[in-house]
Order: sequence, then structure tokens, then C-alpha cells
Amino acid sequence: MKILTTVKKVVDVELNIHVENGAIVEKGLQYVINAWDENAVEAAVQLKEAHKAETTLVSLGSGDNTDMIRKCYAMGIDNAIHIDDPALAKADSPTFAKVLQKVYEAGDYDLVIAGKQAQDTDAGQAGIMLGEFLGIPCVSNVIEIKVTDDTHIQVSRLGDAGTEIVDVTLPAVVTVSDSINEPRLPAMRGIMMAKKKKITVMDLAGLGTSFEEIGGTAPASEVVEFMPVQKRKGGQKFEGDPADITARVVQLLVNEAKVL
Amino acid sequence: MDFNPCMKHQLIRKTVQEFAENEIRPRAAEMDKGPGFPEDLMEKMKPLHYFGLQVPGHLGGADLDSTSYAIVVEEISRVSAALGLCITVHNSVGIYPILRFGTREQQQQFVPPMAAGESIGAFCLTEANAGSDAGGVETVARKTDHGFVLNGTKIFVTNGGICGTILVFAVSDTDSARSSVFIVENLTPGFSVGEIEDLCGMRANPVASLFFEDCAIPENHCLGTMGQGLKIGLSALDTGRIGIAAQALGIARAAFDESVSYAKARQQFKQPISRFQTIQNYLADMAVQIDASQLLLYRAAACKDSGRPFSAEAAMAKLHCSTTARMVTNLAVQIHGGYGYSREYDVERYFRDAKVTEIYEGTSEIQRMVIAKDILTRPT
Repeated sequence: MKILTTVKKVVDVELNIHVENGAIVEKGLQYVINAWDENAVEAAVQLKEAHKAETTLVSLGSGDNTDMIRKCYAMGIDNAIHIDDPALAKADSPTFAKVLQKVYEAGDYDLVIAGKQAQDTDAGQAGIMLGEFLGIPCVSNVIEIKVTDDTHIQVSRLGDAGTEIVDVTLPAVVTVSDSINEPRLPAMRGIMMAKKKKITVMDLAGLGTSFEEIGGTAPASEVVEFMPVQKRKGGQKFEGDPADITARVVQLLVNEAKVL
Repeated sequence: MDFNPCMKHQLIRKTVQEFAENEIRPRAAEMDKGPGFPEDLMEKMKPLHYFGLQVPGHLGGADLDSTSYAIVVEEISRVSAALGLCITVHNSVGIYPILRFGTREQQQQFVPPMAAGESIGAFCLTEANAGSDAGGVETVARKTDHGFVLNGTKIFVTNGGICGTILVFAVSDTDSARSSVFIVENLTPGFSVGEIEDLCGMRANPVASLFFEDCAIPENHCLGTMGQGLKIGLSALDTGRIGIAAQALGIARAAFDESVSYAKARQQFKQPISRFQTIQNYLADMAVQIDASQLLLYRAAACKDSGRPFSAEAAMAKLHCSTTARMVTNLAVQIHGGYGYSREYDVERYFRDAKVTEIYEGTSEIQRMVIAKDILTRPT
């Protein structure tokens, strides 16, 4: 079985992010591997260990993703492709999905495992769109993957009221939830081996396509502006007799807040 | 000259930090009530290769370079110096001499279980009358038809309470001037562990006396050749000093980080104490000494990896890192005031842990001797 996992480098959202003039201030930003993609990598490595699958990672973007890819190598990924093209700096989800489609078609993969969303945009679109563009089954929010045979897997998907068990014919795309596993810490030997592995880096031309062909020049959506999160106003504090306070709060909720 | 860490070293640091913060930090203060390390914590460390850091891959280790090794010890010690001590003693003076001086058979017999963390290493040189003077060893190895019989007592043995593979320095019954090194396994009849020492710091580490009473071992358990003890010991300690320097640096960094946070948060005279020049001077002095320690440590490690002599460099690193650990933890307690003297605060533990880094694996006085000897024997 050949598995393709998609990995995105995202801004570390746990640190303070500043917005100025409608744009994110780049200075001081730190980048990490998208947490859900780390779950996808772990899922792929577990399938590799249990079923001798061959695992390939693809990362998209503009700039150096080597540190992130080395970490995934240290976790146990076999091969890595980085599509490094400055045109992708501001690409939208459908454009990314088109690039992934090209990568998928250049290989001979049985299964694509992606994080269900990226922690920077929370869009949750690229993986599902990839399934659509390829015309193959896609199951989202997956919390377990079992290999049935060479051409079938059975996945569990987290729903509001319970767990859905879905039989899927390969090739297919699954997007995984963070409930699927606990990504491993790389072992020391893995880190030492990771530095020796080759990363295949190519731009869109190297992939045999162009920004125009994948729809990047006429994007379906465009980020116009970033706005900082508004600071919450201070609340009101009431002191005194409980009966009086209750009457005043109810009156404010009806007349000012208009929630009752 | 590039002072920036390479990507591999950054990844190793980040990975160990994550493990140390998530798995060790929540239990470090409890562990200090010691002795001993939680079994499940040790189990989690095994697959990450923390017990075979510089062991070649074919013997089950991670084959790390010395800088990576120092980083691992530093980051574990930043959270629990006692566990960092276990790791560095096991890897350096426990495993390294077998890799360096052992026969292929000895390496294949003893190293894989040690690298897997199934057998913890200990290094037994110190005795009641032998410390800095390694020539004062009184433990005797008597040659027999089948091998050797050991008799003697070793004291202050790090990892003593949990050791599985023990390197023992002993003189032979026919040559009391030159020591040799013998590999003893903990299940050997005649070997026993004394009470765990009640020490000032490193209290999680089960430091103990070890007894050898008519302890018979096969002939092929002699490491290197007979009479090679001093050479093996000095070589092991050169390597060990990089580990202890890293450990001391980890303690100093922990105390410094706590001090910065506390100085910013603690209000006196209606302002954070970090606004006072005295506190700023303390923090600046601590930062300079820590940076200098780091540079000396990584130079010694790089020197070792390049195959050059590194004895003086390791001694300088050990001397400066341990002095820094004592000085920084002392200031950290001072910055914390009365709280720093309380077991409620981690700096109290760092303060107790730091002192011994100036004593074991060669006291600061011995480090100065090593450094001076190097200076005075350089060609002019």
C-alpha cells in the first residue's frame, strides 16, 4: 500500500499574532507543523508499521519546510516531496487541492491521509476537495483506520450522536481528527537517520503544471483583509440586595442587551 | 564561525524539551522526595533511545554526536537533574568504556541491554580512601583458575540502587599499584547494594554503596587489559565531564528561567522587582555565565567529535558549568527571597542539586589540575 500524507506548515497560533493595516505582522512569527497533519503522519506511520505501507509526505508552500519535514522523517515517514513555489504564498484551498491532485497523479497512491483542517485557517477544505477533484471516495473527521484487504479500508468517523463505521474502496482520501492518535515523539535514532534522507523539492513547473493551470490566477476566493480580535469590554458588577439586583439585571437583559 | 545550532540539534532539543516538560516536569518535585525513578517514566524513555544515546545502531543505540548527547542531558537536567544524572552516568561512564575498550564479545554481550535501558550502568571508582586520588583503590581482584574474585566496598555510586551492569575498579592481589576494570552484573553472587545515601541533592537518584564479597566473575569480564584501570578511568571521566557539564548547565538554565519569571511577577514597593538595578545585575551576571558555559560545553563536545584531544576542553567546560550552576542557583534563591528557601519552589531543589556538580566526576580542584597540566605541557 502506498500512502500519501499532506502536511502544512502553519503559524504557531499559541503565540500572540499581531495585525496591522489589514495584514499579519510577519516579524516574531514562529511556524510549526499543523497539529492535525501530525496526526495524519502518525496514522500513516502506524499503517506502515502494521502493514508495510510505503509512506510519502507532501508539503506545499513557499519557502523552506526542511525542519518540519525532518521531524516527519524522524517519526518514520519514508519519502518527502516539497512543492516550493512563490506563487503558492497566497493560494486558496481549491488551488492547494489542485496541486495535491497533481502530486497524487504523479505517484501511484492507494490512500491519502490529511489532517481534517489546518490550525491557521480552520478551513477544512483541501483534503475534501482533493477527493472531489480526483473523483475518489473521501471520508472526513476519521478517528480510526483499519485495513480490510489490499483494496479496502474500514474507517470510523466521529459524528455528533456516535461513531459511524464506513467501508471505503481504495484509492481514497481520509481526513483525520486529533482523536485518531497521539503523535509520537521522534526517537533519537530517528532524528539521526532523518538528516541523511533526501527531500525532493520542486516548483510547479517541476510538477508539470503552472499556477494558471491549477486555477491560481483566478482564485475562487481571496483573503481581503485580516482584522484583530476585538478586546472584550469589561462586564458590569452589581452589588446590594439580591432581589434588587435580579430586577435590574432582568431589566437590562430585556431593554439593553435585548436577549430576553 | 557559526554559533547557530544546526537543524538536527534544534530538533533534538525541541523533542527532548517536549518529553521533559510533559512527562518529567509534573513529577520532578515528587521524585526529589526519592529515591528511585517511576517505572513507567523509565519505560517511556526506553524507545526514545535515551539509554543508548551514543551507542552505534547495530548495538541498539541512537549513535548521537557528542553535541546532541550534551543537549539531551542538558534538557532532561533542566527539569530533573537527578534523572539527567542517571542518563549521563549510564551513557558516559557506564557504556562508553565498554565501547572504547571492550572486546567485540563484551560489546555484544553487555551493550545492547544497556542501550535498551534494561540494564542500568554504574561506575565504581570511589572508595572510603580513594576519590580524587584514584590510585588509592583498595578493592582487590584475586585471580583464580576460572577468572577473578572481587572483594571490597565502593561508595557514593550513582545509580547504585538500580544498576545492572557495573564497572568496578580494583587492584590485583599481585599488583597493588595498578588498577584494572571489571564488569560485574548485579545478579552475580557476592554482589550486594547497601543503603541509599541520604544526600543534600539529586535525591531521586538512588546513590548507594556497593559491596563485593567473594564476588566471582569470569576471566572475560576484565575490561581492556590488566593494569589499564587508570587509563580507562581517565578516558571515561573525560567523556563523563561533558555529560556533567551539560547537567550543570541544565540546572543553571532552569534556575535562571525561574528567576526571570519570578522577577517580572513579584511586586515589592508597588513595582516588579525586575525594575530594581540589583536584580537586573543578578540576571545579567547569570545570563553571561550561562552563555559562556554553553560555548565551553559545545566546544568540548565538538572537539571530541572531531577526534582531537578534548581532555582540557572537557575539564574547562565541567569547571565552568558547575561553578555557574552553583552561582546561578544561589542567586536564584536570593531573587526568590524566603520563597526560594521553601520546598514549594523549584529553585530550592536546583540549589541543592547544583553543589555536587562541583564535586563528582572530578572536583573543581581536579579540573584545574587537568587544565594546568595541559597548559604547562603545551609545546612552546
